[in-house]
Amino acid sequence: MAQRTYPAELDSLEDMLEFINEVMVQLGADRERLFKVRLAAEELLVNIIHYAYPDSHGELSIDCSKAEQGEPGVFIEIRDAGIPFNILEKQEPDITQPMEDREIGGLGIFLTRQVMDEISYEREDGQNIVRMVKRL
Amino acid sequence: MELQLQMELDEGTAKIRLGGRLDATNAPAFQEELKKLIGKDVSKIVFFSEDLEYIASAGLRVMIFAKQRIGMNAQVYLIGAQQTVLDVIKMSGLDTFMTIQDSFDQKTQ
Repeated sequence: MAQRTYPAELDSLEDMLEFINEVMVQLGADRERLFKVRLAAEELLVNIIHYAYPDSHGELSIDCSKAEQGEPGVFIEIRDAGIPFNILEKQEPDITQPMEDREIGGLGIFLTRQVMDEISYEREDGQNIVRMVKRL
Repeated sequence: MELQLQMELDEGTAKIRLGGRLDATNAPAFQEELKKLIGKDVSKIVFFSEDLEYIASAGLRVMIFAKQRIGMNAQVYLIGAQQTVLDVIKMSGLDTFMTIQDSFDQKTQ
């Protein structure tokens, strides 16, 4: 399993997404899935970067590898040691609202959930752990 | 990859050309550019997106910002978007509120 640790900062976002991209290319992901998982990962990582460490600098780690179970797929696990934050409890946006009435926020994680085939959240040993799978 | 951005205001039509990637790292700079249009007379906001390869929610939020701050009554156009970009627009439900065209035709809506 390939694992990397990064400062939880926007400056590292590109490196994080490139790492996931590389693993997915090795697993034979097509262009559409590369695009969609990049989107799902970006939305999740940006949320962690913005909310996990409100008063300090922290890190996050990414495991990215072949899904162990089921149909061929990519497994991504993201851990941070920030404040407890269950992204799956984040309120979903009302996507039927016209643009002029839209509230800013919530859209990112909504997209992550739309794109990924499986997603779970756990708080364990002082860490937020999000695990997700995209079938290839 | 960087975002490529060109913007001009042509008789009430804001023409915005996007290329590359529009993501959380460059959306704030894009939003700053769009602020130049606040207070101007804008009836159409046109995003030319043929060369846009990627968009994330941060980019969608800037499009929503454009509508809310530049022209509440302006018509928003999305021109020539690639399928992957169009998929994100559709997932977010914004396609219902935009005029989506292969090439810009301001006579039809």
